[in-house]
Amino acid sequence: MMSDQQIIELCAKHDRKAQQILYDRYSRLLLGVCLRYASDKAEAEDILQDSFLKIFYNIQDYSGSGSFIGWLRKVTVNTAITHYHKNLKYRYSVEIEEYESIETGVISFEEDFYTSDELYKVLNELPTGYRMVFNLYAVEGYKHKEIAEMLGIDTNTSKSQYSRAKAVIRDKLEKLGKLKSSYSDLN
Amino acid sequence: MKTKKQNINLRQLFRNKLENAEAIPDVSVKSKLMRRVARKEFLRFNPSRLNIYYIAGILVTGIATTVLLFSTSKDYETLLPESSTAILNKTDTTKFAEVPVKQIVRKEPEKSFVIHNESIKSKTSSQQRDTAGPEVRKVNNLQNANPIYHPVINYAISGKGVFSKSVDDKKKLQSGFNTEPNLIELFESSGCAPLKLRFYNKSTPYDSCRWTFGDGGFSNERDPEWIFDVEGEYKIALQVFGRDGRNSISTTTVNVYPRPQAHFEITPEKAVIPNDEIHFLNYSTNAVQFRWDFGDGSTSEFFDPSHTYAKYSNYNVSLVVFSDRGCSDTLKVVNAFSGSEYFIDFPNAFIPNTQGPSGGYYSSKSDEAAQVFHPSYTGVTEYHLKIFSKLGILIFESSDINLGWDGYLKGQLCESGVYIWKVRGKFINGEPFIKMGDVTMLKN
Repeated sequence: MMSDQQIIELCAKHDRKAQQILYDRYSRLLLGVCLRYASDKAEAEDILQDSFLKIFYNIQDYSGSGSFIGWLRKVTVNTAITHYHKNLKYRYSVEIEEYESIETGVISFEEDFYTSDELYKVLNELPTGYRMVFNLYAVEGYKHKEIAEMLGIDTNTSKSQYSRAKAVIRDKLEKLGKLKSSYSDLN
Repeated sequence: MKTKKQNINLRQLFRNKLENAEAIPDVSVKSKLMRRVARKEFLRFNPSRLNIYYIAGILVTGIATTVLLFSTSKDYETLLPESSTAILNKTDTTKFAEVPVKQIVRKEPEKSFVIHNESIKSKTSSQQRDTAGPEVRKVNNLQNANPIYHPVINYAISGKGVFSKSVDDKKKLQSGFNTEPNLIELFESSGCAPLKLRFYNKSTPYDSCRWTFGDGGFSNERDPEWIFDVEGEYKIALQVFGRDGRNSISTTTVNVYPRPQAHFEITPEKAVIPNDEIHFLNYSTNAVQFRWDFGDGSTSEFFDPSHTYAKYSNYNVSLVVFSDRGCSDTLKVVNAFSGSEYFIDFPNAFIPNTQGPSGGYYSSKSDEAAQVFHPSYTGVTEYHLKIFSKLGILIFESSDINLGWDGYLKGQLCESGVYIWKVRGKFINGEPFIKMGDVTMLKN
């Protein structure tokens, strides 16, 4: 079993074997990341491919300090953003007025109630812009200001899209929750 | 029973569940990726490792250089006149004297050619033949000088073929224009980009003229038509070269206003009609007024309107936006709520687990062995499945799409053979579906 450090060194020399090991080791985790940014699995796999190409050819940029997985994840997220820009349908050039988010309905969730498959599905169904902002803010933990820079949108747009995304997700989860509990009641 | 019952907010929920979630990529992804890597490697010409490519590279470059060496000497000779005539043909169809050009112009042919060729627009072919040689030579001499020369040369030549005059002479000539305010007739002097205008030259008597449009373009036509693509204020100048040697100049201004851009997004993306209230997110630029048409006969003038449709149908939603100058733009989304992406399909066979009933719940991962009879679908909201035996007895019924048939009836494994299924329901956009078919239950 090769260590990550050995693999990185070999990959920097474009060793085909090491690249394959790297792929086998991390493709599942990174596909998990890609799936959050894509609207279906095929798109996620496209992003995954592009990410690995970037990883293989820029592995010398990984400084060695900090977690390697963190670096891989960052490259993948950036690739997803590039992908989003490439497929951008609309340009967000108008400032959207500050959106007052109305916290209605369920605010807290039971962690084990939803499977990750279900959460993925909810994300996949979101409008692309919402999905990007929600992922970057909620899961990746970026600040709205950073997200605005990455996506080339206004900070307020990022904020308002995040609250709208939350509202949509909450709505979907609630519907799903009702469906699921109605089944468990039957038992 | 659940061991952990912890309440968390939405953000934590997604972070906890998905931050380190894994998914198995398709096998083809890896092979495709490695093919792309191989392609990239091939293009990288790494001499230390990939010897085959290295040799191939040497071979290719070797052949290429020999081919190039043979062809360049010829190409150099033939390319020049070809490109020069091509440019010339745009303005004048008469054949241009190629020979002197070929001999003189060696180093920077394009530059001198463009200049030359723009300048002879208004001249006759006989003049061209006479002038081509010396003129090109002259331009060549000027190439290292200030680029301001170029337009001046142009200008002098287009006047009366005075290519041989010195710069001083040209300046004199230029200052000899009388400014006259009313030679240009224009029906409109402003409009929305892209703006197409026809300019009329009212001067008489007149021999030739030259229009400059302020955006770098010019024309020697008498009444040219011009399109301004970009918004702005343009200074239009008309120089008229009179038959009597009197030259005059007239100017006017054209205002081109920016055109707004209509853009909007419909949310939710996969709306349920008529249940959902549809929000239209407006991303239009440069616009102050909005006119929405929701396709069902209702309209709105709000910035971000919401609308609820009365029944399911394919609607065309359009947005017309207007700028403060009255310029407009339209975006129309045809079949805005089309449900073509929604489907439900059933397999025609499955192999139940003989170990005992599984309950029928399935996911794409857990049911790789096709042990549960269940549909593949997207966008299904209402669902009712019934399965009958060949004798018409109801074996299984489910209103939950996540619940398929595991092949058991009251804990007993059913006989293998053909069963009939019937499903009805609705897609989330409100479109109903009814399907029926048969499925063969196999046994290992």
